[in-house]
Amino acid sequence: MNLFTIFISAMLINNIILSKFLGICPFMGVSTKLSSAIGMGIAVIFVIFGASIFSWLLYYYVLEPLGLTYMRLICFILLIASFVQFTEMFIKKTSPSLYKSLGIYLPLITTNCAVLYVALDNITQGYNFVETMVNSVGVPAGFMLMLVIFATIRERLDGADVPRPFQGNPIAFIVAAIMAIAFSAFAGLV
Amino acid sequence: MQAVYAILIAGVLVGMTVLLTVLNKKTPVPEGCENLGPDCHACGIVNCAMRQNQTEGNKND
Amino acid sequence: MSTKKEKKSFGSELIYNNPVFGLYLGICSALAITTSINNAIGMGVAVIVVLTMSNIVISLIAPITPDEIHIPVYIVIIASLVTIVGMLMQAFTPQLYSALGAFIDLIVVNCIILGRAEAYAQSHNVAESAKDGLMMGLSYTLSILAMSFIRELLGKGTISFTNPLTNTEVFNLQIIPEKFVIPLFTTQTGAFITFAVLAAFVTWFKYTNDEKAEKIKAEALQKEKEAQHA
Repeated sequence: MNLFTIFISAMLINNIILSKFLGICPFMGVSTKLSSAIGMGIAVIFVIFGASIFSWLLYYYVLEPLGLTYMRLICFILLIASFVQFTEMFIKKTSPSLYKSLGIYLPLITTNCAVLYVALDNITQGYNFVETMVNSVGVPAGFMLMLVIFATIRERLDGADVPRPFQGNPIAFIVAAIMAIAFSAFAGLV
Repeated sequence: MQAVYAILIAGVLVGMTVLLTVLNKKTPVPEGCENLGPDCHACGIVNCAMRQNQTEGNKND
Repeated sequence: MSTKKEKKSFGSELIYNNPVFGLYLGICSALAITTSINNAIGMGVAVIVVLTMSNIVISLIAPITPDEIHIPVYIVIIASLVTIVGMLMQAFTPQLYSALGAFIDLIVVNCIILGRAEAYAQSHNVAESAKDGLMMGLSYTLSILAMSFIRELLGKGTISFTNPLTNTEVFNLQIIPEKFVIPLFTTQTGAFITFAVLAAFVTWFKYTNDEKAEKIKAEALQKEKEAQHA
């Protein structure tokens, strides 16, 4: 599989939210404003990219030579947690303006299942290092795309006359269902 | 021997996470960012620190 | 509503404090693996085991854990338990394990587990925490079972169950003839729609119940006033 195919399939065809259902919590929670959707999206891209690369290196250079591949779950989740903490600390110290726009979303990411999924997926798919990098950008790029599209829809949705039990999250899930139909058209792309 | 490596790796990773968590908590939040809160209300992560801050803030109102 | 003193039945408690449709916890796996009843039961059992065990262990070690590092400690415990459950499933129920795919591993980041550890297990004793884990796991299982029931019935027209240990079919009933099924419900779109409708049902149930309770309260108040006048 060439790199472009990996990127497109990670971003559009196997979109992490619409076809894998991962990262729904932040998707429903944050995507009510365009500015916060963009902030969250950039934070997720950075964390997934960094955490996946470190996980890949740890798996192939430490765990596999020692025959400890069964420890991947524990190792990856700890790696993600420390990476998020490190990133937050780094941003706090170096760039207050960046912290202002991204910092608040970082603590939300540790429990985001998308991060762990990408780290595990790179291993199960047997990607090499370059493919891992491409996949680790493609998946969160798809996530951000969805956040941004969804935020714009929800800004309009606030003014809509929705039946009372459907107000809030349920109607958002209906919108997601319709978007899943639209995105299923990408399946023929590759 | 494998078990020793396993414990060693887990120990190093736990130590790293703990160290970074503590260091991060100690690092002061830059000026002007003390009361930042994301505008999330629908998310279900009850244990999320942001949410706890937010609900506490609401109680004070 | 949690401040209400009177004891509620398990049924209404299940709808009121439903972890999936009410609190939106663990949605990711609920949407992904509910394509068949079999998968839902398998996932549900795995979550019950992990949740109960993690609640027990965390309630035991919480008093000796420093507050700053409790999250990494809990994560290690939960990840170890999930690894054990995953290995057992791989050994004894390989078909089920491959059907659930990565979602067994992703129990680690399932919001329910860490959420219960922080909200309940770390401040309660072992027996209470075990019971809480069991009840929460059970209501999670029942929720995803309801969802998988709807999706399998409308999407494939069948209600089937396969014994995961021996891989033999226990029963497989074709309720809706194959010509009339809606395959959309087995796809992602069906998952979102089913979830939205069930979540809306839970909200509706809460509204009507609250209104009823308020009406009864108002009537009682009125009667009291009348009695005072007389």
